[in-house]
Amino acid sequence: MIEVRSLTKRFRGCPAVEDLSFDVRPGAVTGFLGPNGSGKTTTARMILGLTDPDAGTATIAGRRYRDLAHPLREIGALINPGAVDPARSALDHLRWLAAANRIPVGRAELVLGQVGLDAVGGRRVGAFSLGMRQRLGIAAALIGDPPVLLLDEPINGLDPEGIHWIRTFMRSLADEGRTVFVSSHLMSEMALTAHELVVIGRGRLIAAESMASFTARVDSSVRVRTPQLDVLAAALEQEGATLWRSGDALDVVGMPIEQVGSVAARVGAVLYELSPQQASLEAAFMHLTAQSCEYTAAVEAA
Amino acid sequence: MSSLSMEWHKLLPLHRTSRTVAVAIGLAVVVSAVVAAAMAGSAAHMSAVERGRFDSIGTSLQGINAAVLAVGVFGVLCITREYATGMITTTFLAQPARLRVLAAKLGTHSAVACIAAAGACAAAYAVGQALLGTAGLSVGWGAHNLARALGAGALYLVLICVWGVAIGALTRSSASAITWLASLLVVAPVIVQILPESVVHLVGRWLPSQVGMQAIAGHSDPHSFAPWTGLAVLTGYVAATLVAGAWRMVRVDP
Repeated sequence: MIEVRSLTKRFRGCPAVEDLSFDVRPGAVTGFLGPNGSGKTTTARMILGLTDPDAGTATIAGRRYRDLAHPLREIGALINPGAVDPARSALDHLRWLAAANRIPVGRAELVLGQVGLDAVGGRRVGAFSLGMRQRLGIAAALIGDPPVLLLDEPINGLDPEGIHWIRTFMRSLADEGRTVFVSSHLMSEMALTAHELVVIGRGRLIAAESMASFTARVDSSVRVRTPQLDVLAAALEQEGATLWRSGDALDVVGMPIEQVGSVAARVGAVLYELSPQQASLEAAFMHLTAQSCEYTAAVEAA
Repeated sequence: MSSLSMEWHKLLPLHRTSRTVAVAIGLAVVVSAVVAAAMAGSAAHMSAVERGRFDSIGTSLQGINAAVLAVGVFGVLCITREYATGMITTTFLAQPARLRVLAAKLGTHSAVACIAAAGACAAAYAVGQALLGTAGLSVGWGAHNLARALGAGALYLVLICVWGVAIGALTRSSASAITWLASLLVVAPVIVQILPESVVHLVGRWLPSQVGMQAIAGHSDPHSFAPWTGLAVLTGYVAATLVAGAWRMVRVDP
């Protein structure tokens, strides 16, 4: 169980994370989504005690990371697969981690086998590919057999076989009753893996709910194409709909398709298209983070 | 205790650790041998007074001034390598109490430095005395001040290793930490040498290298601190740097 309460962090006055609160529950894979620069890594680092929050708390099973006597036995983290001394062998790396938290040294071989690196345990980490380092990072997260796992972009650098492996692996960890919190920018991957979602944008919480209810948000989206775009948009907004303009079309959220048609008729808009949109995690994500996407904001400003 | 165990497990499999001990002892022996051989070669031209003033202990231990760079760099790298590779985040995940990490690193690295220092002092002295003996300039293992010179010399090496750790924690960069260390130990005395003599006498005693020279000297120099006073001054420098390094380690996230 990870509990985040009113977490806030500013870097030189720039808010990175603002008043963020959510829970990550055991027995499920919880995806952590957000555009680049939205504060995912900052949030993960605050949960792990690597960055001090300006306000708020993040706790693991009710305690702050820095108050854990043997943190690797409480929460396993993959935050930067490069965070290894390249001169060390994979086994040596895992052994010093085990020694640091009074974990039986024999677990080093065990977790190396779990991630499929048992054949290269004696090799220098410097000679590892990115995918192998990623697996070593996951082995390091598992060294203390922790009930909570926090994985930042675990799919990076993995080949298709590796991606399939980590997907089933994360699900099996959750099935064992563990809390699995995984951040990723790959929507399609999250759609296959996650049961729950925490979505942030510009450091603020956008959604914290099940995958099903999140994608259901765009079930009610309706696409309209009309030459009188501005007239219709104004009328729909007056009726309380949320709009998302994509090219010459409008995506209308929070209004039934019948009502959209009625509004169009009332203002005399000619319709080229009026269609319900397929729900997808990607679509839901794009809609909800559009306003907060730093990249979009920069393009608009230019 | 588990922090200490962590740092031991990091140190032991690395060739760097045994290499540091070997390089420190090797440098000490080679430099002592060269200096002692040169002195032995010119012994024929020495007057009786010069022979009486000759510092046999200090000459034999000249190699300590070279070994000091090996232990200093060893201390620096224990911190800066972790910041350079990013491994420091993994270390802080395993032990979130950063001061404990620093304390464990100091403990393990000064223990290794102790072994290197003891080996370097004993080997350098043995080789130096053997070569000086060919010219009748040796004083042997029973000489007055020898125990102090060996002990203070070894302590000097350990202090410089700790200083390396502290400078590493403060700068987080191998290049700039080693530059600082080399400037303080090697460049500073060269600069001070070109100043007027009155200034040299005033400033020279505060130099870490001068403290080191006095630690291993058989005779005292009126313009320098006494061996233990000098080491106390050096301890002050080390402590101040360590406080600053610890502050940065705790306050500024990696």
